Amino acid sequence: MDIIYSIYEVLWFALIVLMGIALIEGYFYYHFKFYARRWFFPAALVGFPLAAAALCRALGLAADPVKPFLWFLGSEALITLFFRHIVKGRNKLAYLLLAPAFIGLALLLVYPFIFEIYLSFHDLKLTTIMQWKNTGSLPFAGIRQYVNVFTTSPLSEVTFWALLGRTLWWTFINVFFHVAGGFTLALLLNNNIRFKGFYRTLLVIPWAMPQVVAVLAMRGEFHSQYGFINIMLVKLAAAYPILAGLGVGPVQWLSNYPLTTCTLINIWLGIPFMMVVILGGLQSISSSYYDAADIDGASYLQKLRYITIPLIRPVLMPAVTLGTVWTFNNINVIYLVTGQSGGTERADILVSALYKAAFTYNRYSYSAAFAIVIFAMLFFISVFYLKSFDAAKEER
Amino acid sequence: MNKEAAVYRRKKIVKYLLIHLAIIAFVVVCVYPLLRILSVSMRPGDKLISTDLSLIPAGAAFDAYVRLLKETLFLRWLWNSLLITVATSFIGVSLASTAAYAFSRFRFAGKKGGLILLLSTQMIPAGMLILPLFLMIMKLGLMNTYLGMIIAYSVSSLPFSIWILKGYYDTIPRSLEEAALVDGTSQVGAFWRIILPLSTPALSIAFLFNFTTAWNEYLVARVVLFSSKQYTWTLGLFELQGQYITQWGMFAAGSMLVTIPVLIVFLYSSKWLISGLTLGSVKG
Repeated sequence: MDIIYSIYEVLWFALIVLMGIALIEGYFYYHFKFYARRWFFPAALVGFPLAAAALCRALGLAADPVKPFLWFLGSEALITLFFRHIVKGRNKLAYLLLAPAFIGLALLLVYPFIFEIYLSFHDLKLTTIMQWKNTGSLPFAGIRQYVNVFTTSPLSEVTFWALLGRTLWWTFINVFFHVAGGFTLALLLNNNIRFKGFYRTLLVIPWAMPQVVAVLAMRGEFHSQYGFINIMLVKLAAAYPILAGLGVGPVQWLSNYPLTTCTLINIWLGIPFMMVVILGGLQSISSSYYDAADIDGASYLQKLRYITIPLIRPVLMPAVTLGTVWTFNNINVIYLVTGQSGGTERADILVSALYKAAFTYNRYSYSAAFAIVIFAMLFFISVFYLKSFDAAKEER
Repeated sequence: MNKEAAVYRRKKIVKYLLIHLAIIAFVVVCVYPLLRILSVSMRPGDKLISTDLSLIPAGAAFDAYVRLLKETLFLRWLWNSLLITVATSFIGVSLASTAAYAFSRFRFAGKKGGLILLLSTQMIPAGMLILPLFLMIMKLGLMNTYLGMIIAYSVSSLPFSIWILKGYYDTIPRSLEEAALVDGTSQVGAFWRIILPLSTPALSIAFLFNFTTAWNEYLVARVVLFSSKQYTWTLGLFELQGQYITQWGMFAAGSMLVTIPVLIVFLYSSKWLISGLTLGSVKG
């Protein structure tokens, strides 16, 4: 019974989506058809916003129809100007094809982003959320949230600056080991050996497993008593008393070294991606370079330094960029390891602290401001990075 | 001469042996956790907690699987995930396929701006949008529903999908469509009858990408869904693993059931996924 109901629910939703798309398409279609008529613009400027406001009212989306009316009036004015002066009736199909995707992106990506900026200048927290839900209004807070980001802790004690330092360290260590490990493995696999495909398949397993399963399983392996790592340490200490004398023994990974644990898990997860990308790059290098170097009597290290590394740079650089962004934004690993109630905050990086501040501590506006700060940092870093990338390209 | 050749051969054998050994060491590290889950999932009910390291435990049984299916809502969780994931993938791929066609075949005002907008959306950290999406879903009254989840997921892979599909459409010669246009179909007809059937490989990759992203998603589900009947499998497994160490067996069994199909799909499609990933970023 439940199953039938759930299918019904999804089908109903699909119907709404289809109707929405039809509405959007019809709306733009009429702009294309009649944009040149003299009566169209006044009619569109009044008619469409009125209709939209009435629709909002009927669907119960807005209690006060004036606000949606003004919103649609503004967007309608922009759209009519766009049609009259830029499109002029050309490329009808292209715009009709693009409209649904871009309206989806505008509603679910651009609007949330703007909404987050709005939130960051207001005060939404557990005590004001019901008021917001019922009336839609929020107390204004100015830049107080932004000041708070830098002066108070997002969680209970760790500061913004500590999180920033930890994030940079986490990103650097992870990406370094991903590239180093991936490069080593790719070099090993690039030899003409048997079972190559088989090895490659097995080596990508950490990447291929669903991340939730992989991280939770590894978290289990770090359990102080029943995890694989401590079992091995206990066995080692028992077999070689000297090692026990040197301090080898079970370690409280999750409570004493949470950041190390997360880092080890994330390194394990990230190496296969780098390996696959680098292996692809290595296989595209023509063997004639190496033959020529052999004739000149180059050593293995020389070949690595002067042939392999320069030639895989074009493959490696985008992968490293992507890997850096992924690692910087990695909430999953840290949250899955430390996110349970009573979890530590000594492993948190910026983004995971953001998630916890919003959903464990329910400090909504605070975390909106926090998110904007993180975004601004990432934005400037990437602009700077792209500039230097372009400069490097021109040099060549 | 012969002696030198023999030395050379021996050196070569040693070298290959070392390479194999090194790779096998890495393979063990990569595969062992998965094998451990398998072995834990097969432990008999009375020996769940043990420091036993053997791969096939003594008295291996499928107790944990039976308990998982009987005592928890695991099948329901899988069903929830499947429904949400299929719906989002359909929406994502259909929106992406048409938009990508427009980008591939037309020259129109705003084309470059649109492409740049697509790329720049990729710079917004995903974790950042969870909060506003959560608040929007709450305001719309869609908490704890499939619809809320589908709405939250549906556009997250859209820019990437548009990007791969555009790349694929670009490789299809225009003369095919021109021939169809001469024969009297409309442009939409040409897209529907010629381009779409020809690009099934790219469409299926885009579908798979949307599918795996939504299937493995955890963070949005954590905040939108709160009753265990509506959970996706990621939330369910997190709860099983988090609560008591005694549920290890059920957690492991669930993990195996989820992981095996995902592994098969991934190994089949990884080649295209990687080329798509690096293609997008090279151009970015």
